[in-house]
Amino acid sequence: MDKIFLVYNDTVYTYGQLLMDLNSKEAGYSYLYVKDNHPYEVFLGIIHSLLYNYPLEILDGDFSEQEISELGVDTNLLTTKVPKHERLHFQNMDEVIRRIYKKDQWMLTLYTSGTTGRPKKMGHTFDTLTRNVKVHAKFEHCIWAFAYNPTHMAGIQVFFQAFLNQNPLVYMFGKSMSNIKILMETYQITHISATATFYRNILPYLQGTTYPTMERVTFGGEKFDLLLEEKIKHAFPNSKITNVYASTEAGSLFAAKSDVFEIRPEYKQFVKITEQRELCIHRSLLGQSHSLENEWFHTGDSVETIDETHFKFQSRQSDMINVGGYKVNPIEVENLLMQVPGIIDVVVKSKKNSVTGEMLVADVIKCEELDEKELKKELKQFATTHLQAWKVPRIIKFVDELLITRTGKKVRK
Amino acid sequence: MDQLLLIINEMREEDGNAPLEMLEDSMDLRDDLVLDSLMLAELTVRIESEFNVDIFEDGIVQTVGEIIAKIEGK
Repeated sequence: MDKIFLVYNDTVYTYGQLLMDLNSKEAGYSYLYVKDNHPYEVFLGIIHSLLYNYPLEILDGDFSEQEISELGVDTNLLTTKVPKHERLHFQNMDEVIRRIYKKDQWMLTLYTSGTTGRPKKMGHTFDTLTRNVKVHAKFEHCIWAFAYNPTHMAGIQVFFQAFLNQNPLVYMFGKSMSNIKILMETYQITHISATATFYRNILPYLQGTTYPTMERVTFGGEKFDLLLEEKIKHAFPNSKITNVYASTEAGSLFAAKSDVFEIRPEYKQFVKITEQRELCIHRSLLGQSHSLENEWFHTGDSVETIDETHFKFQSRQSDMINVGGYKVNPIEVENLLMQVPGIIDVVVKSKKNSVTGEMLVADVIKCEELDEKELKKELKQFATTHLQAWKVPRIIKFVDELLITRTGKKVRK
Repeated sequence: MDQLLLIINEMREEDGNAPLEMLEDSMDLRDDLVLDSLMLAELTVRIESEFNVDIFEDGIVQTVGEIIAKIEGK
């Protein structure tokens, strides 16, 4: 039977169909801008550019034309075709994949999600993008849940990991949570990589079911959550849990079994932590960017040094909130509030005011059956017992869902 | 005044304090209502979302009466 390549909404795309579409695709474009980020179109475009060895710039399909212009991209060029190449014909996917490894001029340009300002542009070679991709016969059976935006770094890495092993991808990003339970069961998913926010939101829908087929659960994009790890272990009892540190600028760099990241010996000289505890990466580990002038790239991530080769992620510096002169890490507060029974997810944000400059407010998703007034009291009391006064969110609001960025992270602004 | 009482009592309830029966113009926010700066920040945000007035915008407000005056735009 023809192997599944991608499941998206109700459509199943097989590797056979992918092969046919690659053989029949007429032209390539320098920009990949797919409305609604249809993952099949995105992946087809990436593979095509690799086969014909032309550079590709990916624009998030959620960008409006206005945003694209602001990025400095001439919208008239979006439909410009790359010069015609000799037409290739592939007999099978193994041939396709062998050809992919022969590329030499290929470059993929991505944009950061722009959570802290205008999206930045980064160019990557195949080697930096697939630095941590493992291809081996032992991965042939893997079935991947696809839980990231396909036009950003994390999604592209999952895509390569699955595609280069010819594994099926089951698309779950931005889907309704009740569908995800059905997809998990139907396709017997073995591997998933997603943000902590994604896991927190699917757990209530899994309703205590366990999924013994799951072999590996990866956390990426947000701070690891130890409490969540326990719940994940329960839902996926046979899985190994890993945590990766990756960015659009550098790709995937560090992995951790729990929340302590290891700096591998070969990266040691390319990683430094400043006195202000900011993680910096040497430019030789990064993709290419015109905006990067210094030797060291400041990640904007605050970390805690454990020893010479280990660190813990603390927060995004831009997420820190200043309450009357006291700096608060909203993630610390979120992790604490998550311990209150009945809380599904929380985002802690800043609210400007004339007394303390900023103040903490929390948007909370709770289990339906709980009383709002009682829970508010409980949350405030719990926070007051465990945190210094300025770290206690003053206003708590119950919401049905939290705003997330294009890449699936919580919006704290 | 009634709406302000509602706001203050909602805050008190969430903090686990008994509600107040009434407010008087002369009540001091810090001494009588025992509001610290974090609570005052909360109060100003709540009032702003209800009445669209930033009571601390141009300096210190000390009493309930001064808040009422701000809300009423006096």
